[in-house]
Formats: sequence, C-alpha cells, structure tokens
Amino acid sequence: MDRTQPKGLPTRVPVGTMGDGGTTYSGVNPNAVWLNSRGIWLSYVIAVTILHLVLLSIPFLNVAQAWTLTNVVHNIGNYIFLHMLKGTPWETNWDQGKSRLLTHWEQIDFGEQFTTTRKFLFLAPVILFILASFYTKYDPLHFIINLSTMLLVLIPKLPQLHGVRIFGINKY
Amino acid sequence: MNCSNVGRKSPQDYESAPFLAACWTYISLAILIMFGYLRDFLRRIGLDKNQSATERNKMKGFVPLYASFEGFFSRNIFKRAIHGAGKPICSPPTVEVDVLERTSDDENWHFRLTGKKRRCINLASYNYLGFAEKDGPCVHATAQALQQYGVGVCSSRQELGNYNIHEELETTTARFLGVEDAITFGMGFATNSMNIPVLMGGKGCLILSDEKNHASIVLGARLGGSVIQVFKHNDMDDLEEKLRDAIISGRPGTHRAWRKILIIVEGIYSMEGSIVKLLDVIRLKRKYGAYLYLDEAHSIGALGETGRGVTEYWGVNPRDVDIMMGTFTKGFGAAGGYIAGSKRLINHLRTYSHSTTYACSMSAPVAQQVISSMRIIMGEDGTEIGKLRIAQLAANAKYFRRRLRDMGFVVCGDDDSPVVPFLVCVPGRILAVMEELFERNIACVTGTFPATSITKGRARVCISAAHTQQMLDKALDAISEVGDRLQLKYSL
Repeated sequence: MDRTQPKGLPTRVPVGTMGDGGTTYSGVNPNAVWLNSRGIWLSYVIAVTILHLVLLSIPFLNVAQAWTLTNVVHNIGNYIFLHMLKGTPWETNWDQGKSRLLTHWEQIDFGEQFTTTRKFLFLAPVILFILASFYTKYDPLHFIINLSTMLLVLIPKLPQLHGVRIFGINKY
Repeated sequence: MNCSNVGRKSPQDYESAPFLAACWTYISLAILIMFGYLRDFLRRIGLDKNQSATERNKMKGFVPLYASFEGFFSRNIFKRAIHGAGKPICSPPTVEVDVLERTSDDENWHFRLTGKKRRCINLASYNYLGFAEKDGPCVHATAQALQQYGVGVCSSRQELGNYNIHEELETTTARFLGVEDAITFGMGFATNSMNIPVLMGGKGCLILSDEKNHASIVLGARLGGSVIQVFKHNDMDDLEEKLRDAIISGRPGTHRAWRKILIIVEGIYSMEGSIVKLLDVIRLKRKYGAYLYLDEAHSIGALGETGRGVTEYWGVNPRDVDIMMGTFTKGFGAAGGYIAGSKRLINHLRTYSHSTTYACSMSAPVAQQVISSMRIIMGEDGTEIGKLRIAQLAANAKYFRRRLRDMGFVVCGDDDSPVVPFLVCVPGRILAVMEELFERNIACVTGTFPATSITKGRARVCISAAHTQQMLDKALDAISEVGDRLQLKYSL
C-alpha cells in the first residue's frame, strides 16, 4: 500500500484523469478530480493574468507594487481556498463525512501525492514569485513580502504536512 | 445479428466539450461562487433573510446538525435554477404532457401554483415504447387486474404477498429475455441496491464498475462491503488492465486470490446515451473468469430488432450474461425491476434477497401492465403493434440524432440509443435552455455540475416510439432556435 495515502481512504479506487469521473451521483467526490478537467490550467493562468492587468490599471500603483500585490492576492486566495476551507460545498452522502475534515488540497486526487495537478499548483506560486522578484528589481521589502506569502502557500502543500493541523488550528 | 457494430469506433470516443466553452464554464462558476459568498455574508450580517435550514436557538451550543458549507451549492447556485426542476405535471407522461406553471415570490425558496397549465411536447419522460398511455389494451387489462386484486399487497413475497400474477410475470419475463428464470421486485432502484449486496457480500469480492454507473449500483456495491474498482466509461482497455491487475495482485494486504470478481455495466447509460461494448466485455469476462452483471434499465424494450435489449442488439446469447437486471419503469410503462439468469441464481435470490424478505411485493395492476406490454412487444397478443413501435423508436432516435448533429450540436452517445443528450456546458446556458424550451412548450431535462462532470453540463432528450414526425420536427425547430440564441451549436 502506498505510504503517502492517509487512513480512511475509500475502498473505491478512482478514475478521472480528465476530471470527467467526478459527479456526485457516481459517489466520487468532484473536488478530487475537477482540477484535472480540460482547460482548467489555462483558465487558472488567464484568471491570474486578468487579476494582474486589473491591478496594473490602478493609477497610483507602480509596476513593482502591482506585481507584489498580484503575488500576495494570488497566494492568499490560494491559501484560503486550498488550505483553509474544509469539506465540500455540496452534500457528500456517500462517504459518511470523511471529506468534511479534509481541506481541498488534501482531497485532490483522493490523497495521492505527486500527481500532475499537485505539481502544477505547487509551481504556480513559485513562478509568480520569480516573476515578481524580477519586476520588483529584487527590492528587499518586496522580497520579504513575496517570500513569506510564497512560503505560506508552499509549506502546506508538502506531503509531510498532509493532514497535519498545527496547534489544532482548523481541525474541525 | 447486428455484426455491423463489431469493431466500429463509436461516436462517444470523439465527443468532448469545446475548449472555449470549458473556459467560460469555469469563469461562470467562479462568478457564481463569488456571488454565493457575498450572499452568505449578507445573510450572516442580517441584511438578507436566511431561508435555509438552521437549528433552533436552544440547540446552538450542540454539535451542528446542518453543515452550512455543504449546503453552499444548494443554497446559492441550485436555488437560482431550481424552478426548472420538479415541475408538477397533471397528465400521464405520454408524448404531450400538461405541466403546471408556478411562480416564486422569494427567489425560488417557496413556490405557488399560478393555476395555469401548459401543454408541452414531452422529451423528458422515459417513455421509450409509448406504453405510458391513458387508453389501450394495456390499460384495460390493468383495470381488470385492479378490480380483481385491488391495489395494495400488504405483505412481502416470502409471507403472503406472492400472487399468481407475480408468478405469471416472472415466467413471462424469463420467456421474454430467453433465460431460465427471473425474479421481480416492486422498485427498480431497490432491485440493484438490495440484491447486489446479496450476491457480492462478504470478504474477498471485487466489483469492477463502470465510471458512469447509476447511483443504485454504486449504493448496492457499497452496501455489500466488497472492494470496488472503477474503470473508465466504456473503456475496454482500462477494464482489461484493471482485471489483470486485480488477478495478479490479489486481495489488498494478503494478496490471496479473489473469491469472485463481478463486472457491472449498464445497457444504455442514462446521462451519456452510450451503449455498452458488450462483445468486448463478454470476451474479457471469459478470458479472465469474471462474472457479468448487466443493468438494462434503459435498454430493455428499446434496443434490438424485437426489443429484447442490448444482448439482442449485439447478437449475444443472453445466457452468456450471468446476471441480467432491468427495470419495468422505462420501456414497459410500469414500475419495478427484475433480475434474470439461471435457475440456481434466481432460487438463491428468492430466499436471500432483502427485497423478497422485507419489502412489499409489486402491486397487482402494475404487474399486469408489465405482462400486457411485454406480450404486446413479443407479438403474443396477435397484433403487430409491438414490432411497429420498436421500429418507430429506432427510426425516431436515428432521425433526431442525425438532425441535431447536422444542426451543429455536440451530441453524446451512440447512434442507435433513444437517449439523446447534447452538451450545453455553461451553467447559465443550461438554465436558459430549460426556460427557453419551456417557453416554446417543450419539456426536457437538464443536468449540471456536480451531477455531471464540470465541463459537460447537458440537456437530455428521451425519444419515444409515440413521437410523430411533426412533433419531432417542431421540437427540433425549437431546439435550433434556442441553440442559435444561446450559441450552443459548438460543432459549427
């Protein structure tokens, strides 16, 4: 058995490499597979680009501040939706509440680590950090802000922190 | 024997959501979710009235009964579209149906009837052979059975609820399907959920179930406690790979051999419209020594030259399928389900099924309806009605599908299946399709995420043998108009 899989995994071994298996009526948690769907990665990139363009068009922000803000807003959104909110926004009457205690990140691909979706979501903050560092000309204050938000969002994604709740925060 | 289907690549291998529509679906859902959060916030601070279920004030300190996050989609997204679902009807579900109109004064939380009726062309009911009628030989026989037996049965099969009409129904079903014996139950869903645990209970059982199997099969498989593996929809290579892996590695943990392996597939999948590749499944089953459970809920009566279902469609001997299951709700216009197979299997089920022990048996008039419709299909009533209806259904289905495809819609499923779903993808458009078609007096069913995959929201049409050419043309014109208005013709 794979050691990185957490306990309490359903006996139903899933499909859905393209996010097409995830429907509530099939008893598979759509949260685990919808990020594998067609076009989702491109949409993610487009959404971040639109966010950045909106921030760039605010008149009193210069380029460096816009990039740092893009990075920070993206990372905070990433943290809230992937690591803070637990459970599913729909009813899961087939799994007896097992996914209610798991964050979205832990539900992806049913807990299997190192899948392509997880790698993509891990790389996105890194790439944004590199771009932000470049466009802020490696200014120290911006660097500290960008680095800390990037760490905030990368550390929960490590497989060692799967299911870990530090000081019991966000446990139930 | 329908050899022309062998080896032909089915259309379902090609259809998928167009790329831009998929992106637009994600953006729509993101906007809907953002507004959902806003509305939840307004409800929390009291600016908006909270109409969803909450505990009473006395229970606030206890463990919460209602998980508010789990109701997010239901509260904020489905509520906007729920006026399209569950419309009350007040006539039998024949080709035209009277739908009662209703309005809501508080954004779909509560409805009231306006008193108006709307006569719609019925593209939503599973009335494949047109047996859901108010008049005709079936109805007369059913009325007679009603007068003879009454309505209620007041007992289970194993106690005093085993009528002679049930026995007649079972022999007729077995004769219809060409197998040794059959057993019938009062409810189609319960046929799966109550009997799969009986057949596959205990340790060491493996169920290989198709991705898009119905909720009743999923529930039955889970209730039995066997290990479940899911293979990609109608993908025979994936099924073979999973079979090989299962046999080679054995049971999880001990790696001993499995006691039994059961492959569960459906004849026609109700949300996809695809037909199972039965020849390949039987070849794999024979090669690897697994059993086959075939759920013909939608395909019995609707496929095949004489309406015998998907086994006749592919030219397969019904005795090759170990457990044949089906429902009487769709093709026969009644209610209930059956399981058919060898005498040993059926005798086992007669003793051990939860349904026969604890559940009430089928009502007598309903059983009579099944018997009459089956005899009509088989031609035993002396008329050609059955043959004509089957041919009409096949022609209608092919015609409708071809016209929809020619118009530019992305249509899912196989050419011969009477279930015709076409992709709509974007959530807003799914609701709009439902509303616009209703305005044009067409009733059809739609499905969105998470009931379907995230990019494959669809509208589904069920063709009936009773649909006339004019009705189908009228429906197609309306769908084409709606498709132009909402830009649904993705293939063009």
